[in-house]
Amino acid sequence: MRFFDPHIHCTSRTTDDLEAMAAAGVRAVVEPAFWLGQPRTTLGSFIDYFSALVGWERFRASQFGIAHYCAIGLNSKEANNEGLAREVLEILPRFALKEGVVAIGEIGYDEITQAEERAYQWQLDFAQKNDMVVMVHSPHRDKKHGIRRSLAVAQECKLPLHKLVIDHNNEETVQDVLDAGAWAAFTIYPFTKMGSERMVEILKKYGPERLIVDSSADWGVSDPLAVPRTAALMLKQGIDPEWVRRVTWQNALDAYGQSGQIDVEQLEKSPQIDQSKLFNDNSVLRGQAPRVPGPQPSGVPN
Amino acid sequence: MTGMNTPVAWVAGALDSRLAPKAREFQTRARQELRSGADDTRFSGLISLASRYVGAVPLAPSAAELTAAATAVPGWNPQRWTLRECSRVDLVLTRSQQDSEGGIHAIESAFAFADMGELCALYRSLALLPRPERFAARAAEGARTNIRAVFEAAICDTPFPVRYFDDVAWRQCVVKALFIEAPLWRVVGLDERLDAELARMALDLAEERHSAGRHVNPQLWLCLGPHGGERGFAALLRELEGDGPVDCRAAAALGLGRLDAKTRARAELATRAARESDGTIRSALLLAQSGAVTQQAFQSFDGPVPKVV
Repeated sequence: MRFFDPHIHCTSRTTDDLEAMAAAGVRAVVEPAFWLGQPRTTLGSFIDYFSALVGWERFRASQFGIAHYCAIGLNSKEANNEGLAREVLEILPRFALKEGVVAIGEIGYDEITQAEERAYQWQLDFAQKNDMVVMVHSPHRDKKHGIRRSLAVAQECKLPLHKLVIDHNNEETVQDVLDAGAWAAFTIYPFTKMGSERMVEILKKYGPERLIVDSSADWGVSDPLAVPRTAALMLKQGIDPEWVRRVTWQNALDAYGQSGQIDVEQLEKSPQIDQSKLFNDNSVLRGQAPRVPGPQPSGVPN
Repeated sequence: MTGMNTPVAWVAGALDSRLAPKAREFQTRARQELRSGADDTRFSGLISLASRYVGAVPLAPSAAELTAAATAVPGWNPQRWTLRECSRVDLVLTRSQQDSEGGIHAIESAFAFADMGELCALYRSLALLPRPERFAARAAEGARTNIRAVFEAAICDTPFPVRYFDDVAWRQCVVKALFIEAPLWRVVGLDERLDAELARMALDLAEERHSAGRHVNPQLWLCLGPHGGERGFAALLRELEGDGPVDCRAAAALGLGRLDAKTRARAELATRAARESDGTIRSALLLAQSGAVTQQAFQSFDGPVPKVV
């Protein structure tokens, strides 16, 4: 099977991870802009980070046959440093309209402060004016309220809700998101957020319409193979393979494909990785034999 | 070919015959915006937006166009450009005409915010700008990248490095091409700017590779030219007579053909050719015997360096 992981922070992952992802069938990813686990102190740090998302990370993923798209945005945590936040929003348009940027994200609420709300509104407004998709990070604390507010403010900003993806849902929040007409994404984390077993139950209950599974793998304890592993569990538990395909591939493609930045025809083709052609054993591959074109192994045991 | 004798005219002409209506409209509007004083943010925004209007398809210049390009700027070879790169270079050149300083601040700012595809186009434009030497530090930065596509845009098929790099930057970009397995034979003017120091660096690298049990990049031997000396002669013979892959041995044969005539004669290339059973190596030996081995002769070795498994 092939998989689309529409939320993963590749900057925090090693080439071992990228190799394992490719071997497990992950063919495309979206890397949304987030924080680094600690707050940045200068605008330059943001510029270099955004630049890596559209540059080096895209190149790195491509060496493993993984199509790398990204979302650009000012995250909620760092929106609370209001002076810096203003500067970041000023340069945001210089990255947001680049090739392969499929959304504004991940944005939204963390502590649900006024400063977070201002940054969220500004970015929703930018997305609406530029006909873009928005990826919303829902808060860990006061999640249900945070999601309702995220939906309401998006509506106030006149963002069409089929262009809104609300991420990190759980059993308590999914109905609100689906009722509003937005996409409901689920992050499969080993300890926090959602487990694979719970995801199977949600899929059984709600069906595959507008549900998306992702890993959100980052610098914390997380699993870059969460999407293929969850798919394997779904199949093992007798879920219709077509449903599994929709929540681990097609829905993400449909949601982020609205950006016009995904070449679906190219993505549908079998990946042609040729590290020997573009690769450089002083950068990412260090002395090992390059991967050459050919069919990629797929499937991973849960 | 009159009217194509400046880079600006060449690029505009190339676009004119190729852009689809929607792309043409974008290009015209973008030029107008730049002429009416668009700020730096808008300038780099327009460079980004080109991806939404102009395909990254090969530009595929005709033979006449390639000749005209090389006439406008000696050493400029847009053979491998894409149409989108041409569109972006057109915007950079247009911007450079709008102020007395040649748009240097706007262009440097575009570099700071560029993605991979934009970087390629920006680097391709440098040799075509007014007073290109002002961008020497920027182009040297392009030689530090590990993204091969960006490296090639900055260093290959452009006269920039040979004309504007100092000796340190020049030798570094040549050796870096070997490290990232970029096509060294496409570094314009390589044959005209070889020296003993570059030959020494290349020979040190060859020894490092041997010590590590790895094959030597066949293009490495390009760096010796006539400056290899006794050390180069011995290294080439060892490579030719070794049990490495055919490409590695054939490239060493070509390397012998680039040594000075007196040293070359000692290699007994004709005798070796008569004894050689492999066709590729025999052809290389015969070409070497003639002494007419230019950097273009290494074209067939620009694939990946064989890995030891």
